[in-house]
Amino acid sequence: MTGPSSKKSGAGRSRTGPVRDWSGRFGRAALIGIPLAVLVVWTLTPIVWAVLASLKEPLEIYESNALLPANPTLAAYRKVLAMDGFGRWLFNSALVTVVATFVPLTISVLAAYGFARYAFRFRHVLLLLYLVPRIIPRVSLIVPLNSLMSDLGLINTYWVLFITYSASAIPLATWILVGFFASVPKEIEEAATIDGANMWNRLRRVMIPIAWPGVVTAGVLCVREAWNEFAFVLALVNESTMRTLPYQLYVLKDAMGVQDYAVYNAFTVLTILPLLLVYLLLERRVVDSIVSGSVK
Amino acid sequence: MDAPFVALQDLRKSFGTTDVLHGINLEIPQHAFVVLVGPSGCGKSTLLRMIAGLEKIKHGRIVIDGEIVNRVHAKNRGIAMVFQNYALYPHMSVRENLAFSLEMLKTETSEVERRIKTAADILQLEQLLDRLPAQLSGGQRQRVAMGRALVREPKLFLFDEPLSNLDAKLRVEMRAEIRALHQRLESTTIYVTHDQVEAMTMSDIVVVMNAGRIEQSGPPLELYDRPATEFVAAFMGSPAMNLLRGRVVRADGAPAVDVGEGLFLPFDDRAGVREGMEVVYGLRPEHLAISPDPASGLIGEVALVEPAGWETHLHADIHGRRFRAISTERLDVTPGSRIALAPDPTRVHLFDGSSGARL
Repeated sequence: MTGPSSKKSGAGRSRTGPVRDWSGRFGRAALIGIPLAVLVVWTLTPIVWAVLASLKEPLEIYESNALLPANPTLAAYRKVLAMDGFGRWLFNSALVTVVATFVPLTISVLAAYGFARYAFRFRHVLLLLYLVPRIIPRVSLIVPLNSLMSDLGLINTYWVLFITYSASAIPLATWILVGFFASVPKEIEEAATIDGANMWNRLRRVMIPIAWPGVVTAGVLCVREAWNEFAFVLALVNESTMRTLPYQLYVLKDAMGVQDYAVYNAFTVLTILPLLLVYLLLERRVVDSIVSGSVK
Repeated sequence: MDAPFVALQDLRKSFGTTDVLHGINLEIPQHAFVVLVGPSGCGKSTLLRMIAGLEKIKHGRIVIDGEIVNRVHAKNRGIAMVFQNYALYPHMSVRENLAFSLEMLKTETSEVERRIKTAADILQLEQLLDRLPAQLSGGQRQRVAMGRALVREPKLFLFDEPLSNLDAKLRVEMRAEIRALHQRLESTTIYVTHDQVEAMTMSDIVVVMNAGRIEQSGPPLELYDRPATEFVAAFMGSPAMNLLRGRVVRADGAPAVDVGEGLFLPFDDRAGVREGMEVVYGLRPEHLAISPDPASGLIGEVALVEPAGWETHLHADIHGRRFRAISTERLDVTPGSRIALAPDPTRVHLFDGSSGARL
């Protein structure tokens, strides 16, 4: 890259001097590269540190400042997997995540389609109101939610997690999908109308497949929200069998007398891992160029 | 003529407070290729969408094949529409695009296959059936869009500016292809365009629209030869007709229009034109004979020469007024040359100075 570009700018160099050369050659790379590098380091450091720490022996972390484990071992992972209830917590996390992904997606697809395609009174106001649950700090919802769910007898049930997780994911998913649906050219749907597709068929056969990258994006965010959720589960569940992985991770800190950081970090890594797999798996499916070629 | 195949009766449409169509009346015979043409915003696309069933009809009636379709759903009107941007389903192969409407109508598989094959044969799509729209060129996409209309075997084809996304060469090709398709299938067609060349070359009937009204409808050459209004005269024909405002006078005993600057343009006497009337004088470029002999007409100075090969377009100033002329001869003139231009008084169009109506 730099070869040809420096040759090209050669003629202008004498006039504009080295400043232009610097900004031309390095400025652009620096402008993009440095923030990106900082971001990557910022994001990866704790994860890498957690992975390395999880491979250390129990007391090694107190004894040495070395980043790399002296004798890498999977002992901590074995301890985590051998924990009473680990399977249950994993199942709990998986179940609420699946439900709190599919329920919000279903509702959001329908809502977003309506918002994107039908002109009705107060449409914009409603769409803004949709955001209110995301604007209010989650912590401030905890007390009223706890009291409400107690009255409904839902504390310590999966229902309470299904309901609260879904409710918090719907606004986000809807907002993402409105944008995707609105960007599908109207003519495609009109063509489908003339072709004899009713609203349900237009949505199912035309709109959703075209907006599929948006559906996947919204789905991934729903998965992430539900998998990582902490405040609601902490406030609405107290039996150990109902805990999710993040909740148990939090409890783990207090449960161990001497802090076994290797186990703690192994638990963290195991909690993150499924989410990373989901990301890697779905990222390939998001092909946003799919719409190109339909119109113009 | 038999009962019209399509009849539009007093159609009106407004979006909010903006009136888009002000009472459209039009009758279209079966098998006709009708082109709705007009500048953008004239309401032609809205009219087509109303016929298609994509816009509600609140005032007036649309009759297709003897049935009032105001309240008939688009899919049941027996129409098929080709959109300006093709509107293909991007996630479906060409075959799936063609099959979609038949699937929605729960057509038998063998029949679906037959119709896809027929359409693919006619439009040369056989090789493309398994491709996605993104893998096709503009012209191929256009043909798929037509194929999608074709498989429905509609009573009425609707085209909404189908060629405006194509480059000039392809547009000419597709123009001929659409026309050939019509001659083969003889299906009644309504075609919207803003391109008057498309309107002239493709249509059996041209409908010129302006500001939500029909200015004139009829065979293309009739509109070209006898434009009913100044608007039609200006819109149809390329290069455009010379139009000059002036007052009817008698110059040396012969009727003429005084367009100012001491320029008098001759015309043949005709009923309803009296001295002193404010008129618009119209003359097609090909009716302004060009001659290098200064004695044979009005003396003009060449401003611009546009050689088009088979003919030469000339812009010339006569007494400060710009005129367009066409010659099929090769002309040896350059900007600044002095030439003589002779209007053919028998081919002059006169329009009322205020209403624009033909006199």
